[in-house]
Amino acid sequence: MKPVIGIIANPVSARDIRRVVANAASLQIADRANIVLRVLAALAACGIEQVLMMPDRGGIAGHVMRGIERSRNQGEHRFPSIFYLDMPVTGTVDDTHRAARLLRKAGVAAIVVLGGDGTHRAVVSQCTTIPITGISTGTNNAFPEHREPTVTGLATGLAVMERVPRGTAFAPNKMISVTVGDRTDIALVDAAFVTDGYAGARAVWRIHTLRELFVAFADPEVIGLAAIAGLIEPVSRRTSGGLMVRFAPPQEAPMVLGAPIAPGLIEAVGIDDWRRMPAGVAFAPTLGSGSVALDGERELSFSQRDEVAVVLTDNAFLTVDVAAVMKFSAIHGLMRQTHDRYTESLT
Amino acid sequence: MARNISFKQAINEALDLEMRRDPTVIILGEDIVGGAGSPGETDAWGGVLGVTKGLNAKHGGRLLDTPLSESAYIGAAIGAAACGMRPVAELMFLDFMGVCFDQILNQAAKFKYMFGGKAKTPVVIRAMVGAGFRAAAQHSQMLTPIFTHVPGLKVVCPSNAYDAKGLLIQSIRDDDPVIFCEHKNLYGLETDVPAESYAIPFGEANVIREGKDVTIVGYGLTVHRALEAAEKLAKSRVEAEVIDLRTLSPIDLDTVIESAEKTGRLVVVDEANPRCSIAADVVAAVSQNAFEALKAAPQMVTAPHTPVPFSPVLEDLYIPSADSIAAAVSRITKTALAA
Amino acid sequence: MPSNPFPLAKSQLLQAYRTMRTIREFEERVHVEFAKGDIPGFVHLYAGEEACATGIMMHLTDIDRIASTHRGHGHCIAKGVDVHGMMAEIYGKEAGSCRGKGGSMHIADLSKGMMGANGILGAGAPLICGAGLAAKFRGDGGVGLTFFGDGASNQGTVLESMNLAAIWNLPVIFVVENNGYAESTSVDYATAVDSYVDRASGFGLPGVTVDGTDFFAVYEAAGEMIRRAREGGGPSLLECKMIRFFGHFEGDAQTYKAKGENEHNRATRDCLKMFAQRVTEGGVVAAAELAVIDREVASMIDDAVSTAKGAPLPIAGDLLTDVYVSY
Repeated sequence: MKPVIGIIANPVSARDIRRVVANAASLQIADRANIVLRVLAALAACGIEQVLMMPDRGGIAGHVMRGIERSRNQGEHRFPSIFYLDMPVTGTVDDTHRAARLLRKAGVAAIVVLGGDGTHRAVVSQCTTIPITGISTGTNNAFPEHREPTVTGLATGLAVMERVPRGTAFAPNKMISVTVGDRTDIALVDAAFVTDGYAGARAVWRIHTLRELFVAFADPEVIGLAAIAGLIEPVSRRTSGGLMVRFAPPQEAPMVLGAPIAPGLIEAVGIDDWRRMPAGVAFAPTLGSGSVALDGERELSFSQRDEVAVVLTDNAFLTVDVAAVMKFSAIHGLMRQTHDRYTESLT
Repeated sequence: MARNISFKQAINEALDLEMRRDPTVIILGEDIVGGAGSPGETDAWGGVLGVTKGLNAKHGGRLLDTPLSESAYIGAAIGAAACGMRPVAELMFLDFMGVCFDQILNQAAKFKYMFGGKAKTPVVIRAMVGAGFRAAAQHSQMLTPIFTHVPGLKVVCPSNAYDAKGLLIQSIRDDDPVIFCEHKNLYGLETDVPAESYAIPFGEANVIREGKDVTIVGYGLTVHRALEAAEKLAKSRVEAEVIDLRTLSPIDLDTVIESAEKTGRLVVVDEANPRCSIAADVVAAVSQNAFEALKAAPQMVTAPHTPVPFSPVLEDLYIPSADSIAAAVSRITKTALAA
Repeated sequence: MPSNPFPLAKSQLLQAYRTMRTIREFEERVHVEFAKGDIPGFVHLYAGEEACATGIMMHLTDIDRIASTHRGHGHCIAKGVDVHGMMAEIYGKEAGSCRGKGGSMHIADLSKGMMGANGILGAGAPLICGAGLAAKFRGDGGVGLTFFGDGASNQGTVLESMNLAAIWNLPVIFVVENNGYAESTSVDYATAVDSYVDRASGFGLPGVTVDGTDFFAVYEAAGEMIRRAREGGGPSLLECKMIRFFGHFEGDAQTYKAKGENEHNRATRDCLKMFAQRVTEGGVVAAAELAVIDREVASMIDDAVSTAKGAPLPIAGDLLTDVYVSY
C-alpha cells in the first residue's frame, strides 16, 4: 500500500490588516490552486497515487479539480487521485484544525500545508506525529521555507516513498507553548506579549505595544516579529532552545534596532535585553495584562489574575527537510530513470 | 462693435467665467483636458471637439480627465454636488446616457424629493446632441425627450452662441441637476456675444421672429431650419413667428400658447424621434389650452421613427429641413409655396 | 479597578453597545410591526449585522459621508440619524426623516453625512467617489464609505468606482457586507472570484477581510483603513463576513436557507451577545449596566413606534413639493 499524502490549503490567509498597514500581498485563489497542482504533479512523479485534501469553499478545491480534469481530458496522467476529507466547511481556522485531526487519524505519511504561519500553527496544534511540509502563501511566512512548490512536492514525495533515509529526510522542529490559566496554545516561531488586551484585527504592527518576545528560532532572513530576534542573535531551527527578548521604548532602550516586522515595513524597535531561551523551562512574562500574539496574531488575552507560562520544547514535530532530500537525491541519482521507465511514461 | 464668437467658444467662456467666480466649480469628463498620462502635450485635446481647450492652463487642478467609466464619474459628479460642490460633468455624447442613466434618473433627479427637500444636487451634465455630423446611429441622437420626462431634472438646449453662454452660466448657478445639450452642428456658428458674464433664466422662450400667420416652434438646430423656412414662406407672403424654446424643462408654454392664440396655426419642429417627443408634448399642451384658437390641426415636423442613418443622403433626409417645415406650414395655411 | 484591555474607553464600549442594541431593537420591532400590516411598502432588516455598521461608524464624524444600501436602517442609526424620524419615515409620516417622501429604502440625513439608503444596488459607490472628491478639494480630511452587499459587488458601478477611486487616490472605503446571500442567490454562485480582496487587488486597492460579527475586529481594521484614507493613503476595500437574521425583505419565506440556519446563527453568531460576553468577561462592564441600556433602548423604540403611529400623514399638497429647488 503506497503512502498517502494529505494537503491542507487555506483559502482565507493573507487578507488581514497588514495589507493596509504594510505592503502585504494577497496570493490570489487561482495562484494558490496552481501551487497545489504543482505539488500534486510532483507527488505523482514520485509514485504517490492518492492524496487526501481538506475541502474548502474559498475556491481552491474548484480550481484544482478543474485543472486535473483539463489535464485528464488531454490524455495526461500527471496527477494522483484526489479524495476530499468528509467534513463540514466553515471557512474558519476550525477547518484547518479538523482537517489536521482527520489526516492524523487517516495515517497519512506527510501533510503538505499551504498558508502563512497561522495555518501551519493550526495544523501542528492538532497533529505533531505526522511530518509536515510548509509552503508559504500567507502574509507572514517565517515558518515555511520559501522555495518553488514543485520542488517542495518532489522532496515530500521522495521522503515518504523512503527513497531517502529518515534521518536525512525529516528534521526536528521546536515549538513554543503558552498557557494562560487553563488555556494552552502553541506557536511555531514566536510568542509575543503585547499590551493590547484584545484580539481585534489580530495582527501585530504597532511596535509600541510589544513588551516581550520568545522565539523558537531566530533567522535573520525572515520578516515578522521573529526578525527582531534574528537580527540580534541568530539561532538555527536545529539548535536546542530559542531566544527571549525584552523591549523598552526606543528613546530609553540601550539598543535600537530596525527590523522588518511586516512586508515592506521596517520599524525601529527598542531592545532592553535578550538571552538564549533554554528548552523545557517555564517562563512567566513580566507584563501583567495584555495579550499573547502567537506567530504574529493576537490569540490569548490575560490579566493579573491569570497564571501565564511560556515553554519551548525541542523535537516537538517533524518537517520534511527539502534541501537535504534534494541534495541526497542528486548525489544518489534518485531522479534518474531507466530507459524502460521512460518508454513506459510515453504511452 | 460686434464681438462674434462661436458657440463652442461661448461655452468655453461660460465655463471659464464661472470657474473664476466660484471655486467649487470643477469639470470632469473624458479627454476634457486630454493627454493624461500620455507622453505628448497636456491639454492635447481640450475636449473631443476642443470645447474645453485652454481651461486647464487657467484652472489647473479643477479639470479632471476621467477613465471610460461614465457611471462612476457621472455618479461622482452627482455625489460631489450633493456634498456642496458644483461639478460640470461632460457626457461626451448624450447617446452614452445608457451606461450612466441610473445615476441621473434614480439618484440626481430624486434626491431632493426622496429626502424630503433636504438635499441639493447642483450638477450640470453637458453633452453633445444632434445629427448632421455623419456620426451615425450611436452618436447623433436627440434624446431630450427622455430627460425632459423625468421630474427633478432640468433640460437646456440653446440654439446660438449668445444663449449658450448665458444658459450655461445659469445652469452652473442653478441648484438643480441640469442636462445641458450642445448641438454638435452648431459649435462653429458665430454670433455677437458680450465678453462679460450674464445669465439667461430658464423657462423663457425667445421669439426670434415675429409673424401673424403661423407659429413655428423649435429648439437647437431646428430653430435655424425654422428661420430658413420663414424666409421661404415670406416670399409666399406667409409670415411665420419663430419661437426658440431654449429650455425644455422648465418649458415656456405661455409664450407658445400666446403666439398660437395670435396666429391660430402651430408647427412644432423637433429633431427627436416622433413618439413622446418634445413636439408631441408642445402640441398636446397647446391643444389643451388653446384649442378654440386653432384654425388647423397642429403639425409636428420631426425626425422619422428610425435610428440616425449614416449615408449623408439619408441623414439629410432624417433631419427636419427648411423645406419640410415650409411644406407643413403650406398644408395648414393652404398656401401654395412660391418657387 | 480592573484595567481595560480594549481599545475603547468604557464609555465608548457602552456607546457601541447602545448603538448595536438600538439597531437590533429597531429592526426586531419593525419586523413585528410589518407583520401586523401597518407598514407600507418594503423593508429590509439589518438584524444580525450590527457590529459591522457600529464598528465602522464609531470612527466617523458628521463631515464623513456614507452611502448605504436598501438595507440601510443600521447604517442610519450608527451614523447618528434620528431614530424617531426614521421610524416616522418608515410609516410614511410627515414627521419622517424625508417627510414621508422616501420611505425605508431612501432614508437620508445629509446633515449627518448620511447620503441615503438606496434602492439601486451599487449606486452609492460612484456617489461616494464624489464625496471623496469633494473632501479632497475641501482638504478637510473627510472620508467616504460606500456599503454594498455581496450581490451588489457585481454591479458595474462598483467596479468602475473602485478603479476611479484608485486612479484618483480618493479617501474612500468600499465596504462589502458579505452575508452570503444576494436576495436568494448564494455568493458562491454569483461571484466568480472567491474573495473580494482578490478583486480589490485587481483594481489596485488593498483589501482586508474581517469577521463582521466581531465588533473589535471590525473596529480595529476599519479604524486603520479610515485613518489611512484621511491621511492621503487612498482607498481600500473592507470585506465584512456576516449574517443576516431575517430574509432579504420582510415577507421573504427564506426557503433558500438551510433548515435551522437562522436559529443556529442566532444561537452561535449573535454579534451583540458576543460583544456583551467579551466586555463583561473582560471585567470592564457589568452585565447590569448593559441591562440598563437594553431597557432604555426598548423604551425609546417603543416610543418611536407609538409616536410614528400617531403622527400625521403628509397632506395632498406635499405630493408636488420639493421636486426642484426652484422651477
